[in-house]
Amino acid sequence: MNILVCLKQILDPEIPARDFRVVAAKREAERGSASLVTNIFCENALETALQFRERAGGTKITVLSYGQPSAEDSLRKALAMKADAAALVVNDGNTNPDPLTVARVLAAANAKLGTFDLIMVGREAGDWGAGQTGGLLAEMLELPCVSFVDSIESVGGKLHLKRQTDTGWETLAAEPPVVVTVTNDEHNVPRIPKVRDVMMSYRQPLTQWTLDELGINADEARAGNTYYDVAELAIPQKETRCEFVSGDTLDEKVEAFARRIIEVTGAM
Amino acid sequence: MISSAEATRQIYWNISHLWVMYVLLLPTAASAGYGIYRHFSRWRRGLPTARFDRPAERGKLLFKHAVAQRRTAQNFYAGLFHRLISYGFVILTIATTVVALDADLGTAIMRGKFYLYFQSFIVDIFGALVMVGVGMAAARRYLKRPQKLVYTDEATLILVVIFLLCLQGFLIEGWRIAATNDPWGAWSPFGNLCARASRALMSVEAMEWAHRGTWWFHLVVSFGFIAWLPYTKMMHIITAPLNIYTANLAPLGASLKNIDFEQTESFGVNSLKGFTWKDLLDFDACTECGRCTAVCPAHTVGKELSPRDIVLQLRDLMHEHPRDAFGLASTIGTANGNGQPASITPADHEPTTDKEARKPLPIIGAVPATSPAALWQCTTCAACMEACPVFIEQMPKIVDMRRYLVMEEAEFPDSMQSAIMSLEKRGHPYSGTQATRLDWTEGLNVKHLSETKEAEVLLWVGCGGALIERNQRVTRATAQLLEQAGVRFAIMGREEKCSGDPARRIGNEFLFETLAKENVGNLNKYQVKKVITACPHCFNTFKHEYPQYGGKFEVYHHSEYLARLVAEGKLKPLVGLDKKITFHDPCYLGRQNGVYDAPRELVQISSRQSSIEMERSRNKSFCCGGGGGMSFVDEPADQRVNQERAQEAIDTGADILAVGCPFCMTMMEDGINARKGERDVKVLDVSELLWEAAKPRPLENSTS
Repeated sequence: MNILVCLKQILDPEIPARDFRVVAAKREAERGSASLVTNIFCENALETALQFRERAGGTKITVLSYGQPSAEDSLRKALAMKADAAALVVNDGNTNPDPLTVARVLAAANAKLGTFDLIMVGREAGDWGAGQTGGLLAEMLELPCVSFVDSIESVGGKLHLKRQTDTGWETLAAEPPVVVTVTNDEHNVPRIPKVRDVMMSYRQPLTQWTLDELGINADEARAGNTYYDVAELAIPQKETRCEFVSGDTLDEKVEAFARRIIEVTGAM
Repeated sequence: MISSAEATRQIYWNISHLWVMYVLLLPTAASAGYGIYRHFSRWRRGLPTARFDRPAERGKLLFKHAVAQRRTAQNFYAGLFHRLISYGFVILTIATTVVALDADLGTAIMRGKFYLYFQSFIVDIFGALVMVGVGMAAARRYLKRPQKLVYTDEATLILVVIFLLCLQGFLIEGWRIAATNDPWGAWSPFGNLCARASRALMSVEAMEWAHRGTWWFHLVVSFGFIAWLPYTKMMHIITAPLNIYTANLAPLGASLKNIDFEQTESFGVNSLKGFTWKDLLDFDACTECGRCTAVCPAHTVGKELSPRDIVLQLRDLMHEHPRDAFGLASTIGTANGNGQPASITPADHEPTTDKEARKPLPIIGAVPATSPAALWQCTTCAACMEACPVFIEQMPKIVDMRRYLVMEEAEFPDSMQSAIMSLEKRGHPYSGTQATRLDWTEGLNVKHLSETKEAEVLLWVGCGGALIERNQRVTRATAQLLEQAGVRFAIMGREEKCSGDPARRIGNEFLFETLAKENVGNLNKYQVKKVITACPHCFNTFKHEYPQYGGKFEVYHHSEYLARLVAEGKLKPLVGLDKKITFHDPCYLGRQNGVYDAPRELVQISSRQSSIEMERSRNKSFCCGGGGGMSFVDEPADQRVNQERAQEAIDTGADILAVGCPFCMTMMEDGINARKGERDVKVLDVSELLWEAAKPRPLENSTS
């Protein structure tokens, strides 16, 4: 079984709210002093793949990222977690590529890397949260897509994909190859790599491609697609107010309290 | 009357067939010699470490703690009986040597005043004192029964044998004095006592028989004792002085080993082979006194960690299964490390002629004391090391094993994992914090190093001081005091990263090294020379650990620097609070770096009442429970180190518990809140106390 796990490096979503700034004019987040980390759902996808390999055996896991040169760190960490191979498509300029462009790049890299039975992406990225790359990638590869998967079993040549739904979970049987988007679950918390593996990860080969090498027109990729536009980017202003409801008896207070809730939230 | 110049006694007197003694000496010496050799041969399997430098300092330490037994005497009762027994034995050994010199070498030194004063009187007194000492030891062991001791048949037998040896000595002496009508008998008061009793009860012939029989029995018992010693804890009469001589001369704060990541095959220690020879010597130097475990905060609150048992159980592993423990080719029978021909037995090992080809036995979890659960309870407070009379280094061994678990296995408590992951990603251990490194500066005019060329000193805030809301008040107080005193200081702000202390103590040495190099690089970029910090952990790291990464700074704990500013008159605190204050020594400031007085000076300045000491203070201080990465761990509700300590503070009757460390602050505040009940007890940092006394006051208040 050949598995491809796609990883995105993003700004640390745990940055304190007070430190978070956006450049309104450029409609993007400011790096500031924030560190760069692997998107958590991508790490969940990798962890799910690693656990699948541990159970099923005979599996090769390749990790792929389309990002700034710094995304190498995310791939090295994936190697430290014991992914078998890593490839980086260097994004030379467009700091916030749209999901369709990303899917195109990943599809091209996928073709160049070989054939995969299972292609895994995080359900969405912690920065923009578009959640579209997985579906678009499946479309381009002309493969079925199963979303919100949290664990995968190999059963008689088929993949049993356990996915979360609004009301619980369901297990789908899928014939590989298939694209899945992975969500988090208590069982796929990313493992901590061993220090020895972290050190070794820096000695492992890491394939790097430019867009040209993938046959993608870099200018077009930079320009991106215009199927949507970010019209405005701002940090919501949070306001906290404290109010006491009045009333002489407990009943009156409760009634006033309920009325106020309805007024404020527009409920009922 | 014979002149006292000719005083002596007839050696052996009643004893014939003396050749038997010399014949018995051979197996005795062989057994003892082999026993000692066996220890040395096992230590030699450890990794190298330099512990023979600075002989003068080592000699001094040896005198202080092996000869004068200063640490042993810290427990008065045990120190007293240990001295009675050990000094007594030294005297008795000298006496026996004098006999040997006289009888075997014909030196005729056992004459005259020397015979009377030393060989008769002093030796008799010391023989009796040994018996008193044994009695005291037995009373403690069997009547008081302290939990810290190890109750073995071996320990009992040792006491019995020592007592018996002395008793036999007096009886033999008594019968000789009585039967020979020794004119100098009165010089041996206790022997003479036996002589007088014998004269009343026995015939001369009976005394001769009893003397002969007891003499030979004494010989067998003493030779047997000598032959047996190296196989018992009594081996410490050799290993303890050796261990003290080869002790780590650096402060306790500089106890951890460095790892050369390029050269090392396995990170951390999970086999006896991974330890240095000094670590292995440590095991054999243990006297089973149990003081380490008795002072261990984790053990005190009922957790399983026991530094004594780690040492003893690994010692037993080393001696009971040496071939497995060191991964030597197994042969039948006990190993002695003399390179017997290899015969590899287990099938899963590759056949090879290399006699060290087998994988050594993993030690983590091999014995109950090294279970991962126990290893993760250590706060690295080093109380065990401070308490050890023979300078065993327990805590670094625990960290060595933690390193293995973290770096080779990636298996450690979840809460520590999240701290480590946060350190990796964000350079601070507080996952999910919404605070920033600059929050505390709001409203203050604090300069960043990049903004000013004027700064003479860096205020290293530390993650605890910047990101924990309660500690931000401490940092503000410190900064305001510095400003008031006219100190030109600056901070590193967002460029500051964790010093690496939690990573190092949790066991991720690799991460520590990464953080250390990055910090040292930044500090050197700004040509920092002088550093003040309110965090004893950062303080310790800067002082002892950064120099090896090229960071050489003059480092002050804020209490030291502030106390100096007061002494120089640059800070003029007014009359202090009318409150009783007790100070809790941070382990990494006090015990591990010897700074006890500066924070106390600040406490004294800040209170109109005299400060109170807790029972466990200064070098015997009891950890807050937050060191060694433990502040990130949620302890079981009934086993909280901080509550044990908080109770001690509350019991002093103090109104304020003064601290000098951001970890102590959070641990003690939690502990005090859990235990104070109706009482009003506050936890304040020493800088907050000083600021309270020194801050500018509106005029109308100054008269009140």
